[in-house]
Amino acid sequence: MDFTLPKEYELLRRMIRDFARQEVAPLAKRIDIEEEVPREIIRKAAELGMMGVPFPQEYGGMGAGELGYCILMEEIGRVCTSTATVIGAHTGIGAMAIYLDGTPEQKKKYLTPLARGEKIAAFALTEANAGSDAAAIRTRAVRDGDDFILTGSKMFITNGPIADIVSVMAVTDPSLGPRGGITAFIVEMDWKGCSVGKVEDKMGIRGSGTSELVFDEVRVPKENILGQFGAGFVTFMKTLDVGRVSLGAACLGGAQAALERSIQWAKARSQFGKAIVHNQSIQWMIANMATEIEALRSLVYRTAWMVDTGQPFTRYAAMCKLYGSEVASRCISQAVQIYGALGYSRDLEIERMFRDARIAEIFEGTNEIQRIVIASDIMRQEGVRISP
Amino acid sequence: MRIAVAVKQILDPEGITVNRRRERIFINREERIINPADKCALEAALRLKDAHGAEVIALSLGRPSADDALREALALGADQAVLISDKALAGIDAPTAAVVLARAIERLAPCDLVLVGQTAADTGGDQTAGRLAELLGLPQVLHAVTLSLDGERLKVVRLWDGRPIMVAVAPPALIAVSPLAPPARYPHGARILNAYRQMGVSVWTAGDLGFTAEELRPNIESRGQVFPPERELGNVIEGAPEQMAGEILALLRQRRLI
Repeated sequence: MDFTLPKEYELLRRMIRDFARQEVAPLAKRIDIEEEVPREIIRKAAELGMMGVPFPQEYGGMGAGELGYCILMEEIGRVCTSTATVIGAHTGIGAMAIYLDGTPEQKKKYLTPLARGEKIAAFALTEANAGSDAAAIRTRAVRDGDDFILTGSKMFITNGPIADIVSVMAVTDPSLGPRGGITAFIVEMDWKGCSVGKVEDKMGIRGSGTSELVFDEVRVPKENILGQFGAGFVTFMKTLDVGRVSLGAACLGGAQAALERSIQWAKARSQFGKAIVHNQSIQWMIANMATEIEALRSLVYRTAWMVDTGQPFTRYAAMCKLYGSEVASRCISQAVQIYGALGYSRDLEIERMFRDARIAEIFEGTNEIQRIVIASDIMRQEGVRISP
Repeated sequence: MRIAVAVKQILDPEGITVNRRRERIFINREERIINPADKCALEAALRLKDAHGAEVIALSLGRPSADDALREALALGADQAVLISDKALAGIDAPTAAVVLARAIERLAPCDLVLVGQTAADTGGDQTAGRLAELLGLPQVLHAVTLSLDGERLKVVRLWDGRPIMVAVAPPALIAVSPLAPPARYPHGARILNAYRQMGVSVWTAGDLGFTAEELRPNIESRGQVFPPERELGNVIEGAPEQMAGEILALLRQRRLI
């Protein structure tokens, strides 16, 4: 067993950390207030390969695998959750679906500009009445000659307002349900009939745009079927599986940032004639945070290694997302406590981090769904089939 | 154009605490980085490469771990990397290091430019530039901040007492780049991976460069370290120029210095 990070990844982490500190961190407050990640940041990140970290170099990616991608998400997650969310929805699910199930032609046409960051991707599954119950979607794709006519509306789509290329799941045969009746499509947002609907006014990750996407009789050529016809549900579940690992990594970054700030403040803040770091109550908080963060770090990077070495990882990816989002929320909440009233003030970034963290317990499959995924995988090994 | 850039791998000064009271230097975090001024020198070379085309060769004299510094140089855009590393070279002093570097650069000949960092952030010796220029018989420009090619001549903006002035020099020449020069770019992620996975670092030993043990014997013997005594804060004189001049004059007279 060897836990050493290969040297190229050490240098990669250092480059990304420098980038995050120098280019992203100074803008994090503005991103939250102005509700937008500047295109300039995305352009700079793209120039360094950061919009396509896990994808092969032949498709314009960095070729750094899930390991490199988790490093990116951890480092960006440390400084700005909105930016991490824009990159995550683009890379981890939007473009990932095309990477996992696209044909070589689709990868050349769509994955390459996405991996280079020339185009932005989104992943459109959720609908008003289909969230956790993803198979309940109603967006329809009806065959018309060699094309499909796509009609429906997707909700809470991260990157919705800025996406150029969207992986969309639609019903192609209502009689078959999720097994055979749902197909994934690659849709270009500048096609006739595609539009951006209501943009959400959110609690946190305010710099990352979340919106409705409306498809009004959009003509989609059959070349844009993603994966097997009728197997869209499989494509989407597979994509979400991978996305959960890097989401855990972004949470790890947020939790780590909360710990570092807590230590810094506990050393600087003096009450009753001594720095509060000398209070056992504070030391326990710091010890608990550090322990959970270390456990999460091991889980995330071990799972990234499982992804990169082609092992089954579904259960562990769900654990990364579940545990990661909870650790981030707990650690950031503790940091607010250590900072006291200052932590509640918008003058410090702890307040923003607190608002930003909450979504990770909800999106990309609620934590309740993650527990179902984990339990079903455990029970399957025990010969028990459970259904939601 | 062929440009040799000498880079030194040093311990990151941010990971070091100097404890004056205990007269010790504590290494809190052992992270090795490219000496900041050398990284600026590399950037200056890469900017010439971007503008006019050039072959940039990074070379480093150091322990085997300096391989990482050279991989970083390759990731940033260097075309070739040479590591001069040998047990026989461990603990050599600054004069000998310059001799070794000079011979390595001669082996890379012909080089139109030799770029070094003005100063090393660890030892602060400031010796390499001058010694190398002398050994290689090259004109030298120190404290450079920007380099640009103007026909056959290299125009260099250098710092003179903190202020920029421009000088011109005809290659071949040695330029020492200031740590205040433009910082290095970020390397592309794919180049970082490829620098380790696909590109190579040539390793030269003392023997490869034809050195004998006698030539490498240090001129300086280290007998330990002492801290210079802490200096007391001097008097601060403030006011209008004439008033300050008067006060200084009075102080100098009082101490019978004039």
